[in-house]
Amino acid sequence: MSVTEEMVGVERSDGGFSWRRPELGLAVPVLALGGFVIAGTADVTAAGSALGLGPRFFPIIVGSALILIGLCYVVDVLRGGHGDPEQTEDADLGARADWRTVALVSVIFLAFAGLLDLLGWIIAGALLFFGLSVTLGAPSRLRAAALGIVLSTVTYLTFVKGLGVTLPAGLLSGVI
Amino acid sequence: MESFRLLMEGFATALTPVNVLYALVGVTLGTLVGVLPGIGPAMTVALLLPITFNVPPASAFIMFAGIYYGGMYGGSTTSILLNTPGESSSMITALEGNRMAKRGRAAQALATAAIGSFVAGTIATGLLVVAAPMVVEFAISFGPEDYFALAVLAFIAVSSVLSRSVVRGLASLGLGLVIGLIGIDQQTGQARLTLGVPQLLDGIEVVIVAVGLFAVGEVLYVASRLRHGEPDVIPVGRAFLGRSDWSRSWRPWLRGTALGFPFGALPGGGAEIPTFLSYSIEKRLARGPAREEYGNGAIEGVAGPEAANNASAAGTLVPLLTLGLPTSATAAILLAAFQQYGLQPGPQLFDHNPALVWGMIASLFVGNAMLLVLNLPLAPVWARVLHIPRPYLYSGILLFAALGVYALNSSWVELVILYVLGMLGFAMRRFGLPIAPAVIGMILGPMAEIQLRRALAIGAGDPTVLVRSPIAATLLVVALLALLAPLVRKAAARPWGAGRPG
Repeated sequence: MSVTEEMVGVERSDGGFSWRRPELGLAVPVLALGGFVIAGTADVTAAGSALGLGPRFFPIIVGSALILIGLCYVVDVLRGGHGDPEQTEDADLGARADWRTVALVSVIFLAFAGLLDLLGWIIAGALLFFGLSVTLGAPSRLRAAALGIVLSTVTYLTFVKGLGVTLPAGLLSGVI
Repeated sequence: MESFRLLMEGFATALTPVNVLYALVGVTLGTLVGVLPGIGPAMTVALLLPITFNVPPASAFIMFAGIYYGGMYGGSTTSILLNTPGESSSMITALEGNRMAKRGRAAQALATAAIGSFVAGTIATGLLVVAAPMVVEFAISFGPEDYFALAVLAFIAVSSVLSRSVVRGLASLGLGLVIGLIGIDQQTGQARLTLGVPQLLDGIEVVIVAVGLFAVGEVLYVASRLRHGEPDVIPVGRAFLGRSDWSRSWRPWLRGTALGFPFGALPGGGAEIPTFLSYSIEKRLARGPAREEYGNGAIEGVAGPEAANNASAAGTLVPLLTLGLPTSATAAILLAAFQQYGLQPGPQLFDHNPALVWGMIASLFVGNAMLLVLNLPLAPVWARVLHIPRPYLYSGILLFAALGVYALNSSWVELVILYVLGMLGFAMRRFGLPIAPAVIGMILGPMAEIQLRRALAIGAGDPTVLVRSPIAATLLVVALLALLAPLVRKAAARPWGAGRPG
């Protein structure tokens, strides 16, 4: 989905409200998505029912509505409208966006997704927890590592042995 | 009296030892996720969906209902004890509650919130027992065009009421509708918007969307501007109410209940409006010491909104159970849970699965009582949960999010989809797009499509069939009004934004 990547690229250049209007990075993709829905279902050529209400009918409605909404959204942003960032307990809305942390969290999570099958849940999960905790500012690396190993091992044993959920054993497949 | 007998049978279901255990697990888990910043009941239920696949439906729904109610109780603890603004529905509680806590009255604030939630939850569940069969009787004659009109009303109401900016609410709804379109069309078997990715043929599972938008989005958002340093939690002992606090609290509890239930039952009513209304009504009615204390920690300003909050949660269950119409994000996830068991909420559900429905409703009474016990003496325990260092908390949330999504199909591709949806959730938070319309659009969208195509097929393609029934026509007019109302509201000098403090 190029939509979100594009959005992040635009967002990265922003600090606060500026002439660059970072919110266009979300508004324009919403508009584009409307067009994409209509174009992307163009090849769906089911011999719809006799009444002509095939599988394209609803997507066309949704796509048209989204184009309309997207246009209003873009116009609103261009005229200076902007949404209020969501308030949440642990976010400091006054702070400057910390893109380094977001990028690191993203890299760690995607690396986890790619390596999970190879390393197995226990190792990959412990590394995920350790990496994220340190990135988010855990004071003690030793403690983060210990917690990660405990958490991933306990979840593995509980969910695989207890609840019958499938998680990869990976490198430890002979051991556990 | 018929519903009374069914309710008693429901108690027989809810009070079996196994189901009492499920209810206890549900309310404990619900309180925990309600207290913890960063996660909530909607995402918790979503994460539990794959794990509960082998649990009998009645037990699963008893647990889910416990999580739903527990989340309300837990949320108030956070907003009272934590000196930072939280999510919108508990923000009102924080206004007076946090000031009470700062003045050393945290125990009373927590107690009036918990007892008020119990009173409101119990009365509102009683109202649910009375109202549900009446709505069912009315809805039994609904045709597809009426259900389509209902869905449209829910879409519009949720998008325009839940956000300060209508266009942002609608944009969120549209994103959800598009996600709902992905996959094979149920009627013709054609693949739509799958981009050739085989994992998308079955559509994107609700679990991934909910966990991505809620949990991963929240973690990324918090990571971008994490508040450093120790969380500022106000210490508290056992929660209790003195005599004068009782006499100041009970009237706001009842008024809050009266406001919360109907708003919860309306499509798009939600919890925000009734809690705010309750806050301002109590402010206006305040006399004597309460008047002086308002703005500085008046107990009425906690009692009323908390009651309204819980009553609206019970109200939300009326359209969900009787019409299959979700009006909040958590209700939408509950609807997805029904679908997982092959059940469709609506009049037929009351006919075919009375044990399930009434067992769930009876468990709400049981769960409320449990929550009172869990929250009054154990308040210090929940306060301690708030001290969890944030790096560990958010790393843990992401670990469990990955676990829940990977457990679905053991596919790393779905973890990548989870991340992409997380980025979307991040952007939506950053720019103030509400998440709930997207979740409701994604879950209700495919059903709206089916009803629309069914209605048009019956009408032989004539679009006027959509407004031929008076019910459908009325609902669509109301939807149009809901779309226009915020514009009118803006023009009319923002009557209910004017009193908004802070």
